[in-house]
Amino acid sequence: MNYKLALSDETLLSIEKPERYIGNEVNAVYKDKDKVDIRFAFCFPDVYEIGMSHLGIQILYGLFNSYPDVWCERVYSPWIDMDRLMRGQNIPLFALESQDKVRDFDFLGFTLQYEMCYTNILQVLDLSGIPLFSRERTWDDPLVIGGGPCSYNPEPIADFFDIFYIGEGETRYRELFDLYKDLKESGISRDEFLRRVSGIPGMYVPSLYDVKYKEDGTILSMEPKFSDVPKKVNKELCTDLSNEFYPTKPVVPYIKVTQDRVVLEIMRGCIRGCRFCQAGQLYKPLREKSLEYLEKIAIESLKNTGYEEISLSSLSSSDYSKLPELLDFLIDKCNEKKVNISLPSLRIDAFSLDVMSKVQDVKKSSLTFAPEAGTQRMRDVINKGLTEEDILRGSRQAFLGGWNKVKLYFMLGLPGETDSDILGIGDIANKIAKEYFETVPREKRGGRTVEIVASTSFFVPKPFTPFQWAPMNSKEEFLDKANKTRKGIMSQLNQKHIRYNWHEADATMMEGIFARGDRRLSDVILAAYKKGCIFDAWSEYFKFDTWMEVFSEAGIDPFFYTTRERDDDEIFPWDIINCGVAREFLLREYKSALTGKPSANCRQRCLGCGATSYGVGVCMEEKSGA
Amino acid sequence: MHKLRLKFSKKGPIKFIGHLDVMRYFQKAIRRADIDIKYSEGFSPHQLLSFAQPLSVGATSDGEYLDMVVNSFTSEKDIMDRLNSVCNEGITIRAVRELDEKEEKAMTLSFAAKYEVRMRQSSQLPAGWTDDFMRFLSRDKLPAMKKTKSGEKEIDMKPMIFDCRPLTDGDGVELILSMNSKETLKVSLLFQYFFESCGLDFSPVYLNINRADIYRLFTDPDGRRYIEPFIPANDDERFYLDG
Repeated sequence: MNYKLALSDETLLSIEKPERYIGNEVNAVYKDKDKVDIRFAFCFPDVYEIGMSHLGIQILYGLFNSYPDVWCERVYSPWIDMDRLMRGQNIPLFALESQDKVRDFDFLGFTLQYEMCYTNILQVLDLSGIPLFSRERTWDDPLVIGGGPCSYNPEPIADFFDIFYIGEGETRYRELFDLYKDLKESGISRDEFLRRVSGIPGMYVPSLYDVKYKEDGTILSMEPKFSDVPKKVNKELCTDLSNEFYPTKPVVPYIKVTQDRVVLEIMRGCIRGCRFCQAGQLYKPLREKSLEYLEKIAIESLKNTGYEEISLSSLSSSDYSKLPELLDFLIDKCNEKKVNISLPSLRIDAFSLDVMSKVQDVKKSSLTFAPEAGTQRMRDVINKGLTEEDILRGSRQAFLGGWNKVKLYFMLGLPGETDSDILGIGDIANKIAKEYFETVPREKRGGRTVEIVASTSFFVPKPFTPFQWAPMNSKEEFLDKANKTRKGIMSQLNQKHIRYNWHEADATMMEGIFARGDRRLSDVILAAYKKGCIFDAWSEYFKFDTWMEVFSEAGIDPFFYTTRERDDDEIFPWDIINCGVAREFLLREYKSALTGKPSANCRQRCLGCGATSYGVGVCMEEKSGA
Repeated sequence: MHKLRLKFSKKGPIKFIGHLDVMRYFQKAIRRADIDIKYSEGFSPHQLLSFAQPLSVGATSDGEYLDMVVNSFTSEKDIMDRLNSVCNEGITIRAVRELDEKEEKAMTLSFAAKYEVRMRQSSQLPAGWTDDFMRFLSRDKLPAMKKTKSGEKEIDMKPMIFDCRPLTDGDGVELILSMNSKETLKVSLLFQYFFESCGLDFSPVYLNINRADIYRLFTDPDGRRYIEPFIPANDDERFYLDG
């Protein structure tokens, strides 16, 4: 615990939620700074309540602090009011635990969870007094390292980072720390040190590569500057999750945050192979944690945090092979302690409905389906193995069980989408309502009726997915499609029971630019930041017009990155990285998508994606052959 | 079923945590300490837990109270030790008392609170302000406009001030103020009028407040009214109201 705060009482009392800046939460780690060799500031570049909800930081925070020679602390983006105050009074950004200046740390790590956080990275560097560009930093500055999903195409922010860590963080940080301890005081230059870092598997040092472009703006080549720098950086992966570190003493915030519960990660990876999904490819192959391990982790975490809720986390929890056993155990233990269980990402069927009726208030909770597309044809294109019959059967069973609220998630702008796919969204929502009226007789409705919420997001093609070649829709196309969806819903017989929400098109376009962007975007991001863009992920602070202005001033066409169709053999900015899934496989999947042909999942048949080279998880299981 | 009353202090950075979050903090601490607390019935059961009075954000305290109902417990000391072993964030349990079954909640019984008030750096008050403050309080009446649910009303603060004396180290005052369902005087309201009387701007952030304790009301066998902390630390904490 640390009583000495960086900010005065007066300052803390004059801003929104001082709890964001004072640290000292339950399970926060305090060490004697004179007794550690490495000080690591770990930043989630968004506001505290968002950043504190992130499992990845909790894992690495716990892991790093389990090393006696390392003290890892947390940093979040100061909210707008604090940002203004810090600039006005020249207060440097500090880490929450020691309240010491971030600039004095050895490492500053960023987790890159979404593209719209890029200007916040510059905010954190700027408020810390760290030069924004890697090339301008000296040994007086921390080493700036990024990881997480966006580091699989880090090129738009490559100039701001010294290192990117590609893959799961558990495996290689120890090596990096040891190298740093060995060499920092040896008189070696920072550049020379970074060159040595590039020799550690999973470490991508962007400054060590030359990028050349063709006349049409696409990449001609991306080559290492030195022969000892690897031509490709391979993804790092944990091969034995049941013997891996997992934080059973996560930091428990004082204030309510988005994810305010014990998070039990039951497995990594996914067998499903939905063609739009980046996570499904990045975390391949699926690796389950053992039941005994999860039971132990669950009990310890509840005991150490005092949380009143536990949530299962994975990309598709229904695919966990010991799910019934795990849930029996949790229901038993949690009832005893009055702990709630939350079950996101379960497939709706008789089993999950039975479980949900045991752990939730049926009247208050809602069912969630993610058909992602309105017709079977389109669901085959995206390889989403959920049929209309699955949805209607699940709904019927749920309505009989007392549920009456249904949430539906769709995407607009998928490759090859036609008007009938768009109108199919209203159609399926209507059929669910009809199912309700046919299943639940009037006298059993108890004054309630069916409530359906259909939401659409706009599709963004992501690197390392079969759709990485696909053109993205323009803003106008998106809005036109949302309008058609709305009209389609309005024309349905049961339209009064269906509510429709859609995402913003402007922010989606920016996300699309950065998702498949290249190194030339660093200057655009910097220019936007200088014009006041921060917290772009927050619609109230997102300044689309400023961004467009910056693009035109830089002479960069944003549509080059979004609506353009890529050639089969185009060199992508992210080709420098090997995510474990072969490019030929992704292209094969893309071609199958364009002909509307679905593919098997990893438990049915191996599609030869390349992940089997890790020799773990579902790749080693026998296939059902279906 | 047993009713327990806990006295705790709140020091350090946790003073910036608001009342509702302190409640959530205790709910989790009680689970970590594995206390056999009683839960309400119904689909979403909650712990039977209540606090005497909210403390304003930024103030520290030596004497906060919370009441809880437990199904079983081994001893008052065991409850205190268990909680203290899982609370190292600036909350310290100072005492635990088992209550009579019929005892009303501390929330209902609170009558007054003792505060130590010092000035933060940003305040413009000159040194020696405590003399001025004592003089200010010696006025016959201390009229003030108090915000209520339905607007503002004029009150006299004077009868709500039971005691005031300079702190022995000289840079602040100790006050006992009314704090009950009938009338409650906030430290900041009193100081707002004091600053005004000095012709100075006022902001509540100037005040460095520590709540020393919370008192309930008693009448002795002679019919004299006195107040005493819910759980006194010493025998001599009785304070007679009518001189």
